[in-house]
Amino acid sequence: MTFELVNHKVLRAAVAPGAEIVARRGAMLAYHGDVRFTPATIGGGFGAGRPGMGGLTGMAGRAMAGESSPLMAATGSGEVFYGHLGAQVTIVEMDGSGELSVEADRLLAFPATMQTAVVFLGTQGGVRGAIRGAVTGQGLFTTAVSGVGQVAVLSHGGTLALTVGGGRVLTVDPQAYVGHVGALTVTATVNAGWREAVGRGSGEAVQLKISGDGTVYVQASEQKL
Amino acid sequence: MSIVLNPTNLPVDDNINPYAFAVDLNGEWFMQKGRMIAYYGQIRFNPLNTMDSLQAMVSAQFSSPLYARDWVVASGNGKLVLGDRGFDINSYDLDDGNLTVRAANLLAFSPGLALKQSIVPGFVTLIGTGKFLASSNGPVMFAEPPVRVDPQALVGWADCPSPAHHHDAAWMSSFLGAAQGFFGRVSGEERQLDFTGAGTVLLQSSEIVLEDPSILAAATEQTNLLSTSQLAALQQTITARLQS
Amino acid sequence: MIAYSGAVTFRKSGVGAGEGLRGALKRKLTGESLDLMDMAGQGLVYLASDARDVELIDLAAETLQVESSALLALGPDLSTAVTFTGLRGASSGQGLFTTTITGHGQVAVLSDGPAIALEVSAAYPLVVDPDAYICSRGQLQQSFVTDVSWKTFVGDGNGEAYSLRFTGSGVVYIQPAER
Repeated sequence: MTFELVNHKVLRAAVAPGAEIVARRGAMLAYHGDVRFTPATIGGGFGAGRPGMGGLTGMAGRAMAGESSPLMAATGSGEVFYGHLGAQVTIVEMDGSGELSVEADRLLAFPATMQTAVVFLGTQGGVRGAIRGAVTGQGLFTTAVSGVGQVAVLSHGGTLALTVGGGRVLTVDPQAYVGHVGALTVTATVNAGWREAVGRGSGEAVQLKISGDGTVYVQASEQKL
Repeated sequence: MSIVLNPTNLPVDDNINPYAFAVDLNGEWFMQKGRMIAYYGQIRFNPLNTMDSLQAMVSAQFSSPLYARDWVVASGNGKLVLGDRGFDINSYDLDDGNLTVRAANLLAFSPGLALKQSIVPGFVTLIGTGKFLASSNGPVMFAEPPVRVDPQALVGWADCPSPAHHHDAAWMSSFLGAAQGFFGRVSGEERQLDFTGAGTVLLQSSEIVLEDPSILAAATEQTNLLSTSQLAALQQTITARLQS
Repeated sequence: MIAYSGAVTFRKSGVGAGEGLRGALKRKLTGESLDLMDMAGQGLVYLASDARDVELIDLAAETLQVESSALLALGPDLSTAVTFTGLRGASSGQGLFTTTITGHGQVAVLSDGPAIALEVSAAYPLVVDPDAYICSRGQLQQSFVTDVSWKTFVGDGNGEAYSLRFTGSGVVYIQPAER
């Protein structure tokens, strides 16, 4: 097992040659052994035909472009403890059949052998999908992780895993949405009654409607990380 | 519904839940201000400098003028419930031992322990035999040296030598590292604390550091020693940190 | 609401359950605001707020006094009202009034960290930090302990300069964190 939860806020990750770990910058709490940290990026391009290369390649070009990379690769041999601002850590087991769609800053860590890509939300549901991105605060893009392995994600408070399937539609507050796995369609809809009922502020009228077959991860809070 | 607690079934010198602790008070305990969330019985809370009858005890056991104003003595008889901003609280027993802990994380301790200010800024050392409570963001983890630690995740250490700074040399000397250093960008991983020897290191589950006003006071005071150009350089460092 | 499935409608409650126009006026005058919504239909609704812990309290013809900011949800047969709490809220910024809930049913209360229920009785009067207080039920009398001048010293954020003392018979719920 690459990942293990030490407690609900800390992840222990084993690092070895050929089994590097990519994790959120600044999330390293402590480590044993001979481990080094270098910047990494989400590989691959945008849009439909994404190549989805592993995280370690292509980093030189991106880093030199002046971006401050949000990810660090841990290489060498040892074990690293990761955590971020006391947020809750959930391990999502990926068996290669589905793809995990999650906001980049909800990603805590994943094995460098998994494929990642930046995806334009428009491809997930047309223009409405793009609106979803704007509303959840994800911007117009999200991160897709695929392959076999464990992915550690962050949330404010506990995470609920809700299954969607059998024709049922699940409605989710966009600010509580963390990510999803599987063949799901996520669209943003405006619910007038909801807007009046909640009245918390702008953007509250929007709800995410999710259908298809898969699992949705929801956090117990409306706060962004 | 939670079970209803009262003085007969409250835990005795133990956690009620990970974030609250019940002390069975018969005498005195040193406590950081504001940590009492409830109590049964007759308990008084006095600043450290106003206890005439206990002055001798207080001056012997608490020798840190820097922190004195943040602490009180809880005295009397009853059940004292302590909490600290929702952080995890754990109790530890020292048996003729010594442990250095971040001052902001130290919640309370029994008077069998003596508190001294550590040379490491922001930390205090507890010596003797007794019980103390420390709070942390997320449960405390114990690690044994050799281990390298993010300074913000460090809560304290026992029995092993004070840590040394470790710079990830490979990162600094690699092409990218030099480039990023040139642009003044930090990854957040270069600064690590290195522990060696035999002992135990206490870590918290995140990089959130509990605020310690005395460190700010000490740092502010030191700016008096800086020249104008040095102050400008300090300002840039502060801006970069606030943005990271 | 963080998620729901089924056919559920959400409507702003207007004012607390059963309070009517008089209740609305009282809330406006006292500044104690209660923002509730009615959920109706058939389905499953998931409620949460700020990752706080949820404590379920069963009321059986009792009265629960709760800070409106700590109230998450209540069952349909309960009624709410605004009551004067005395000077408890004077400098706590929570106002001089609080919400009371009466009847039979379940109330879901929010707590920053798992809530702790402490009994109050003739043998066990209780003193509580007002910033940790969430709610209370039973026949309780409240007074102030002002012998806490040390709290106003530097190093303790915006702590209260007093504590709450409870006597009588009932249960007080506190959270292991200060607001």
